[in-house]
Amino acid sequence: MSYAIETHDLQYHAGKTFELGPLGLRVPTGSIYGFLGPNGSGKTTTIRLSLGLLRPDRGSVRVVGHDVPRQTHQMFARVGYVPERPHLYPTLSVAEALAFHGAFHPRWDATAARELLDTFGLARDTRVGHLSKGETGKLLMLLAIAQRPDLLVLDEPTDGLDPVVRRDVLMALIDYVSETGATVFISSHLVHELERICDWIGVMDRGRLVAEVPMHSFKNGIKRLRVRNAPAQTGDPPFVLLARERGDGASGTELWVVRGWQPTMRQYFEGIGAVLQDVIDLDLEEGFVELLRTARVPQGS
Amino acid sequence: MFGAICRVQWKGSAAAVALLAAAAFIVPLLAVQQAGFTAGDFRTWDLVVMLSAVESAGALFPILAIILGLTLSVGAWSADHQADHVYALTLPIPRWHYVLLRFGAGLVLILPVMLAVGLGCAVAVGSIDVPEGLRAYGSSITLRFGLAALVSYAATFALAAGTKRTAATVFGIVLALIAIAMLLDSLGVSANLLDVVANAMFRRPGPFEVLAGPWMLIGV
Repeated sequence: MSYAIETHDLQYHAGKTFELGPLGLRVPTGSIYGFLGPNGSGKTTTIRLSLGLLRPDRGSVRVVGHDVPRQTHQMFARVGYVPERPHLYPTLSVAEALAFHGAFHPRWDATAARELLDTFGLARDTRVGHLSKGETGKLLMLLAIAQRPDLLVLDEPTDGLDPVVRRDVLMALIDYVSETGATVFISSHLVHELERICDWIGVMDRGRLVAEVPMHSFKNGIKRLRVRNAPAQTGDPPFVLLARERGDGASGTELWVVRGWQPTMRQYFEGIGAVLQDVIDLDLEEGFVELLRTARVPQGS
Repeated sequence: MFGAICRVQWKGSAAAVALLAAAAFIVPLLAVQQAGFTAGDFRTWDLVVMLSAVESAGALFPILAIILGLTLSVGAWSADHQADHVYALTLPIPRWHYVLLRFGAGLVLILPVMLAVGLGCAVAVGSIDVPEGLRAYGSSITLRFGLAALVSYAATFALAAGTKRTAATVFGIVLALIAIAMLLDSLGVSANLLDVVANAMFRRPGPFEVLAGPWMLIGV
């Protein structure tokens, strides 16, 4: 498998309070990779390190086959980037911003830019500094797509946008990916949004990558089990027991959150004298919350 | 690429450049008018007084050049500073190339103001009869103004391109020099530290020598 982004032993610290890594991130080429994590978990820092906007304390980064930061400018000819905060020149009009961006990008597609301008309903003469948050989000996505990149790196691209704009932006993204097969690396804390479009996810928490798996195995592997008459000692279960809580009402019933669940594991409960009453699928958001909860349990507790 | 950068820089600095060009056009006219050349009665001239008036008005040229350099260098980087340089750093060109493009665009914007100085000098000199024994130095003043603006622009561009820490270091050094000079002065030590620094900067072969000395549109 080839990787559009590959970091090895990446480490970085900002001040005395925040440390990131060591991080081994691998974004498969052609995937739509959702980069999840709560605010302050290190998503934006990881992106900035990956794109050469921050210099790591140690470790290496390769993006679309280019070493970062040594070949950063060659890399940016093939990477479209939508940062967390707007970074365009506010005195330019929309049309001027397009012309400026196109002057630097070798694969700039002026026709696609015009079409997206119409699709997004952006006025050419409006100054960038006068655009609303939603319009700025659309313009940033337009610029990133019209440069025809092999990899799109999107840092919270829909954060703070209303549902209509969010849908427009994501539709444009999906259209581009289905047309070109480009890789997308999209960070967000809006879990449900990524659930619909991503085929890989990576989860960050407190500067560490706590999971990196295909979406289907993440969603299928985490379950909530309703268990009756479970003993205090669970022995050595064939799955990872993430959480164990008292059930709602029925006496002796507990809710277990487990990872790595397979239907053949039912017989484990017979072995410990418990009754498995129900297996409940968790959506990505619930799985994400449970994963973070587990990741934060101190070692040995 | 260069055209795109020039357009962005022009958009950010157009008003200031137009204002400075207008001022640059007026300064030569002011110089000849202040000296009394427009009166036409040369018999009563006190040449020393008149040339002194030309020199006084000429002092505005280096001031304009410094303001122009400062305006262009701040204009070159302000938009990038506001966005933490993220946009510039994500363009697919080497960083030195981007810096050169930005610098070059500023140089282009010096030209209209320099042209205004040249026009102003031509109009001012054309409007008077230069007395015998004196000469007009319109072309020299124009070229010198261009060079002075370039020096001012280059110095402030380098400072503006740096981080806040760089700027703080430079200002810190200047303040430390002033403080040391004041301390030595209060102790009765005649080291003339500030004079030494000023001479190194503004006297030949100092980097800012072009800004110092008289700017005589009309001279001997």
